[in-house]
Amino acid sequence: MSTPDVDVVVVGAGPAGSCAAIVAARAGLSVVLLERGPFPGSKNMYGGVVYPRILDGLIPNWWEEAPIQRWVTRRSTMLLTETQALTVDFRSEAWGKPPYNGATAFRPDWDHWLASHAEAAGAQLLTDTTVVGLLRDSSGAVTGVRTDRPDGDLTARVVIACDGVNSFLAKEAGLYTHTDAKHFTLGVKETLSLPKEVIDERFAVRERDGVDIEIIGGTGKVNGGGFLYTGLDTLAVGVVLKLPKLAAQQQRPEQLIAGLKQHPGIAPLVQGAELKEYSAHLIPEAGVAMMPRMTMPGMLVAGDAAALCLAAGIWLEGVNFAMASGMYAAEAAVEAVRKSDTSAAGLAGYQRRLEGTFVLKDHRKLRRAPELVLSDRVQHLYPPMVANVVERMFHVDNPNPKPGLRRILDQERRKAGVKRRDLLRDGWTGFRSFG
Amino acid sequence: MSIVACVKWVSHPGEPHDERFAGMSPADQSALEFALQQAALLGTGVTVITVGPSGADKVLRDALACGATRAIRIEAPTTAAGTDVATAIADHITDAEWVWCGDYSLDRGAGSVPAFIAAHLGAEQALGVIHIDLAADGVRATRRLDGGRRELLGLQAPAVVSVEGATARLRRAGLASLRSAAAAQIEVVPATTPIHRAEFMVRPYRPRARELAAPAGDTPLDRLRVLTDAGAASVARGEMVALEPADAAARIVQALTDWGYLPHG
Amino acid sequence: MIAVVAVREGQLPSGGDEAVAECGGRAVLIGSGTAAAAADLAGIARTVTVVEMSSFQPGAWAAVLAPLLQHEPAVVLPGSPDGRDLAPRLAALLHRPLYAGALSVTPDRVELTRRGGTEIHQTHPGPDFVATLQPGVRGVTVAADATAPAVTDATPTHLPRQEHRDATVLAVLPPDPATIDLAEAPRIIGGGAGLDDEARMQQLVRIGSAIGASMGATRVITDRGWVPHERQIGTTGVVVDPDLYLAFGVSGAVQHTSGLGDPAHIVSVNVDGHCPMMQLADLAIVSDANATLDHLARLLGADADADVDADSTDAATGTETA
Ligand SMILES: Cc1cc2nc3c(=O)[nH]c(=O)nc-3n(C[C@H](O)[C@H](O)[C@H](O)COP(=O)(O)OP(=O)(O)OC[C@H]3O[C@@H](n4cnc5c(N)ncnc54)[C@H](O)[C@@H]3O)c2cc1C
Ligand SMILES: Cc1cc2nc3c(=O)[nH]c(=O)nc-3n(C[C@H](O)[C@H](O)[C@H](O)COP(=O)(O)OP(=O)(O)OC[C@H]3O[C@@H](n4cnc5c(N)ncnc54)[C@H](O)[C@@H]3O)c2cc1C
Ligand SMILES: Nc1ncnc2c1ncn2[C@@H]1O[C@H](COP(=O)(O)O)[C@@H](O)[C@H]1O
Repeated sequence: MSTPDVDVVVVGAGPAGSCAAIVAARAGLSVVLLERGPFPGSKNMYGGVVYPRILDGLIPNWWEEAPIQRWVTRRSTMLLTETQALTVDFRSEAWGKPPYNGATAFRPDWDHWLASHAEAAGAQLLTDTTVVGLLRDSSGAVTGVRTDRPDGDLTARVVIACDGVNSFLAKEAGLYTHTDAKHFTLGVKETLSLPKEVIDERFAVRERDGVDIEIIGGTGKVNGGGFLYTGLDTLAVGVVLKLPKLAAQQQRPEQLIAGLKQHPGIAPLVQGAELKEYSAHLIPEAGVAMMPRMTMPGMLVAGDAAALCLAAGIWLEGVNFAMASGMYAAEAAVEAVRKSDTSAAGLAGYQRRLEGTFVLKDHRKLRRAPELVLSDRVQHLYPPMVANVVERMFHVDNPNPKPGLRRILDQERRKAGVKRRDLLRDGWTGFRSFG
Repeated sequence: MSIVACVKWVSHPGEPHDERFAGMSPADQSALEFALQQAALLGTGVTVITVGPSGADKVLRDALACGATRAIRIEAPTTAAGTDVATAIADHITDAEWVWCGDYSLDRGAGSVPAFIAAHLGAEQALGVIHIDLAADGVRATRRLDGGRRELLGLQAPAVVSVEGATARLRRAGLASLRSAAAAQIEVVPATTPIHRAEFMVRPYRPRARELAAPAGDTPLDRLRVLTDAGAASVARGEMVALEPADAAARIVQALTDWGYLPHG
Repeated sequence: MIAVVAVREGQLPSGGDEAVAECGGRAVLIGSGTAAAAADLAGIARTVTVVEMSSFQPGAWAAVLAPLLQHEPAVVLPGSPDGRDLAPRLAALLHRPLYAGALSVTPDRVELTRRGGTEIHQTHPGPDFVATLQPGVRGVTVAADATAPAVTDATPTHLPRQEHRDATVLAVLPPDPATIDLAEAPRIIGGGAGLDDEARMQQLVRIGSAIGASMGATRVITDRGWVPHERQIGTTGVVVDPDLYLAFGVSGAVQHTSGLGDPAHIVSVNVDGHCPMMQLADLAIVSDANATLDHLARLLGADADADVDADSTDAATGTETA
């Protein structure tokens, strides 16, 4: 076959795509990075917290230049019932200094910044350009992409699909054996503006320190969870909702966010904040259970496109998994191009890297977590049970003496209608996953 | 034949404070499209020129991707005054025969640069054009007049034409040209004359109180009434309510009925 | 200050009287039928210099006017099509700054509308300048004792040597038939940049035909190519004068509202309660215009599927040619 236009075409300038482009371009390959938006990140949304440590090698001292809003030095997990809130709150000074841990950032800023590194590395970024098809040879191997532009075909030795959740490319290549609505959650988010001083005061943080609150319950009858993150002078409040339930309950996501914002545990934090923006996006929730084949002759799939987002209740991490998988895909592509074998075998380095690192290790470890966290018991039975237990523990009901914990536990379990067997099983699953 | 398109790097009306959305206005896109069509007709190339900071290279690359053959950026701040912009452009295109502009820039919105260029070049002008006929022997342009009337002008080179945004749709750049444009060389030149910043005190728009015919009416009260219901724009005129869309629609129907535009019941 | 007003067949341009009033009644009228036009300025103009010329030629006219205006520090033209063409040519010949699209002009203070009419930029000009005044922003009072202005004729016996070339006027065309239904419509439903999709314009047409209103739009919408330019309401578009105006997602920039006449009833739906269109409205509703239109369409039985009266659609979209 004639020599391809470029060594590598990366589709999608999100975190996965830009990191892939940086690695491939730095290795001296000719790289084109295609993005459908007017600039990288322009249309992209997420909750608001990135865990960028994976960049340590790629962009040394990234924290000195990354466009971040606040460093997450407080992480809370909230368990909500209609009227109660049980919060586990952790704070660490260490997370406020290099190399840091998590940070809140806006996607347009973050993605735009990462893409600028790809360009600096020599990758060619083409925006306002949408990939509408794959080019394949007679054997079915991918040989390039077709864009929506006039004379819009671009041939490449390797295509790296980083086109996000519901990947059109992975589907067209038939890498998803089955897709199922129950594997996705809908993430909806409101960005609210509030003066920095007010945020600092309400969330008890200073300067660039920020807070990450993950919420279990609080989404009414629809199974899901919520989050509340602090930007510099903005708040991100959102809910992540199980699709089938959402459909069944016929409730609009906005209503659920409104409900969350009215919860006695949340209302004081968001009070008086002004709505800046509302956005919604799908999340590949099911992890290992839904992952496609990620390697085929001439193509690799990374990030959300490969369902590598880790969405396990108290964790909602996708950007770091995307960045890492993008880097690994590019490393494998570089190997393959160097030994000019872009067959599935030649590209096998990708899967190896995924298996050998946190990317698949965390997913395997947590493979039961999403299902557990979104299960009816955890969503609707446990929160009131646990909250009631705690309420009774700390409720001083003199002259009555304090009841024993075991008795409270047992009574509340029965009240909640939870079978001891299920409780033990879920406890075990939870322990194996999170413990 | 030398053909020039003047394009300006302006912020997107929807995202006025985010430079990353900035680009060519619809009017400038139309201008570029006509320049390209005319160049094809006359078998020549198109020079795109912009006056602005380095960020303005974006609109030049977009133009190159669409088929422009040469790109020049005259170094200047975005706040450069219109007269200076025109002078700077005119000084660089003294031999230009056809100069295509948008009818006004989204931010400054004065519509004066094209006429200044024409004055500098001693060229014919057709401004605020809504229809163009290109021919080998010249250009016919239709511009708006008062009262919806229009004027059909015949133009000979050298001429400056400024067109409205709706007159043409800019072609979509092909992938190959997009790639070469991304790598293309852009000539950056200093302005020949000093560029002044336009200094202004900026405040949000408020209508000017309109002068009204002296109130007619016998009693002071009548005269007062005349004054108060004349559509003086300087004061809020009626009822303001915040409603959910469904209620908003119902309220509108009710108002139309009350005012007699819709039958009752 | 002195006003320079381009006249065609004795007709004053839009905003001509306002420019003269802004200059305290001192004016130069240039063009054809200037004497008649001067008479029309009775009660507004005090002293008028007329320069009788044939068809509009900005280059040549500027050359004729420059010597007359050398000692006039502040020169104001109406921001009408001809004024906007002539002003820069004059400014260039007189080597003066031009302030285009002014909201108000005094010898030491000029207010300009900028950024799509959302901002006012105020400046203190040097002694000598040229400005154009936005038509419709000022209004005029005609003195009760409307005495005719004192007229002097300054028509040159011979034109100065022509170093400025002008386009040849091939024809002056009557209003585009496609705009007539709009120009004369008693009821208009207008759409602006607040609308989220091109299909909204068809929805406006359907709702319009349900209440007997023609569809109009702002410049931003015509620039987007969502509707032809004949649908554009405003100073550089179609000047209308309806009894009823319904504005959806329209900010009410001066260039739009100046072409709006003085409707008896204005309804405005906008998310921003502070914008000019909301200030002008009799019923100003803070709400999402798009969702509101969907509900309105349902209430009026003007849904997409609902059967729409064909000719009213044509008329309202300007596709009708007769
Ligand atoms: C509500 C919500 C909250 C979240 N919160 C967090 C959080 O707090 N922390 C976290 O780490 N993760 C979070 N995530 C997950 C995270 O957003 C994703 O995992 C991450 O964005 C995946 O990155 P990506 O590069 O794989 O895909 P994306 O970020 O989706 O990027 C895909 C890119 O490809 C482009 N594209 C798509 N199709 C084409 C095409 N055909 N042609 C050209 N370009 C194309 C898109 O425009 C986009 O720029 C959240 C997600 C949601 C929805
Ligand atoms: C020389 C010159 C001549 C011009 N001539 C004309 C002319 O003849 N006619 C004309 O119209 N313009 C003209 N303009 C342009 C004019 O200045 C304004 O730019 C234009 O009128 C603005 O149109 P718009 O209101 O649709 O857009 P914008 O000014 O962008 O206003 C959009 C409005 O929609 C609102 N909005 C946003 N989202 C929603 C939502 N979901 N629901 C409800 N509301 C929403 C916003 O709050 C805003 O008020 C001219 C400009 C110049 C410089
Ligand atoms: N800085 C600039 N660079 C290039 N062209 C410009 C610039 N400013 C104005 N123009 C051209 O002049 C037209 C009218 O702009 P303005 O006179 O600023 O309203 C624009 O549509 C452009 O075609």
